[in-house]
Amino acid sequence: MSEDLIIPSISSSVNKITISDTSKTGFGYNPAVGPSSNEITEDTSSILINKRTISLTPHSSNSILDRNLNKKVNEISLSSLSFLFCEIVNWCHKNSKGIQDLENRLNGLGYQIGQKFLELVKIREGVKYSKRETKIVEILQFIHSSMWKSMFGKIANELEKSQDLNNEYMIIDNLPIVSKFINVPKEYGNLNCSAFIAGIIEGALDSAGFFANVSAHSIPKDDNPLRTVFLIKFDESVILKEELRYT
Amino acid sequence: MSSYYFTIIGTKDAPIYELEFSSFKLSSHQIPGKSQFPPNIKEILPFITHSSLDLIEESQWSNNQYNLGKIDSFYGISINAFITQGNIKFVICYDNNSANSKYDESSIKQFFVEVNDLYVKVLMNPFYSVNDAITSPDFDLKVKLLARKYL
Amino acid sequence: MIVYSVYILNKAGGLVYQNDINPGLNRLSANDYLVLAGTLHGVHAITSRFSHSMKIEQNEINMNNNSNILSTGKSLNPNTNRTGLQSIETDHFNLYIQQTLTGIKFIIITSPLKTTPMSRGQLNNELDLVNYLFRQIYILYGDYVSKDPFQASDMPIKNQLFDTKLRELVNQ
Repeated sequence: MSEDLIIPSISSSVNKITISDTSKTGFGYNPAVGPSSNEITEDTSSILINKRTISLTPHSSNSILDRNLNKKVNEISLSSLSFLFCEIVNWCHKNSKGIQDLENRLNGLGYQIGQKFLELVKIREGVKYSKRETKIVEILQFIHSSMWKSMFGKIANELEKSQDLNNEYMIIDNLPIVSKFINVPKEYGNLNCSAFIAGIIEGALDSAGFFANVSAHSIPKDDNPLRTVFLIKFDESVILKEELRYT
Repeated sequence: MSSYYFTIIGTKDAPIYELEFSSFKLSSHQIPGKSQFPPNIKEILPFITHSSLDLIEESQWSNNQYNLGKIDSFYGISINAFITQGNIKFVICYDNNSANSKYDESSIKQFFVEVNDLYVKVLMNPFYSVNDAITSPDFDLKVKLLARKYL
Repeated sequence: MIVYSVYILNKAGGLVYQNDINPGLNRLSANDYLVLAGTLHGVHAITSRFSHSMKIEQNEINMNNNSNILSTGKSLNPNTNRTGLQSIETDHFNLYIQQTLTGIKFIIITSPLKTTPMSRGQLNNELDLVNYLFRQIYILYGDYVSKDPFQASDMPIKNQLFDTKLRELVNQ
């Protein structure tokens, strides 16, 4: 019997696994079966007790799980990054229906990076010494300083709260590194390729539980023609929760 | 000699990894590490875990630690939880018949911290996205080794 | 030395960039600029063939070094500025040409040297300065033109950032 199980609200990867897919090695969780799929049997128990090394997958010997998360490879070539980003923008542009669509696509690409990077930066800070951010201002400061530093090698230039609206904050970077070499032609209006970075911020905030919309706007100043403001609009529920809890 | 039921819960409150095991320390049983939950408890464990989610969310915002410690108990089953910055919950249910509960707490915390490391490593895989079930056999093996080491 | 103008030609000899940074030259009609570009491109090509027959060995070394690029067909004759037309000197301006590996030509037009006849040292200084400029312009081109997602290759360059950077470089 091999039937695809469709479980609501669990991601697509589950649907690819069926009940009859049993692990040959006794290791590996099958969400369609539950905890009995990877329960400890006589075989697996003896492997664990004796710490025998076994090769579960073709790349077990050097899997991602064996590498060190704290490895310091802080610097990459700006040129290769720029060429890569240039191709990313081109690729999004080719598939997009308009300027807004292009910005949304860039935002979407950044979103997943933000989700993952948030956890990575927190791990690198050391779970024992650092704290979980639970307030709006704290998480924004964390993104503005620690996260910016590990992504771009510098902290963002400013962090401001909107004077008019309660739920709007701004992170300002005078020279966003990914769009350093990008000149947006006039016919593209107010397109800003840092929408990608806005996506990273949005992904990080959303996964930390501070639901927000983030957009990038070019607001040049005389000596900083590429100055970009990342406008963060929090969901009403986030503001409400903060008011109820901390005031 | 405790049995444990460990779950990783995604941001949408769906489980993405589960594991049942027992302490490897006293191998009086035929298969060391095999969970000893009686069948009637075994089948309510996912429900106990699920009902603890509300309590986790409550302390998620009132506490800025990662390890939330013991958050609930139910019919002699204790529930400990840990939450990452990215809203991924680690929950462990265990039958609390160990005499030294202080010791248990700190080793569960150790276990959580190391699983968090492994989880982030899984997250670094470009073919894995947040809230996918973790089906990797390598991950499973590493978690079980941690279980053997700490619990 | 004052830099009057910087032109960039694509590998087909088309004028893709023109920036008259400092006044000093008369404006020509748009068509004349295109003709000038085409002519320089043609003369450069012919003169490089000229020297080819005289310096076969030199050229063979170049060819071997770049045989990979050549075999992929993505580049024209490598480094032809070593064998082709390099400069034109007149009483009113000096013109220098440099061709990159991918066949793009940078052309700089500067003011002539004040003193005539000029000494050997002055000439060398001038050439050093021009070579420095070429290298810097090449870097700016590599950064601000080739890394710009909105810039198609071999198409006219309309890029404010590049304009400003070039102006800063030339007037420093």
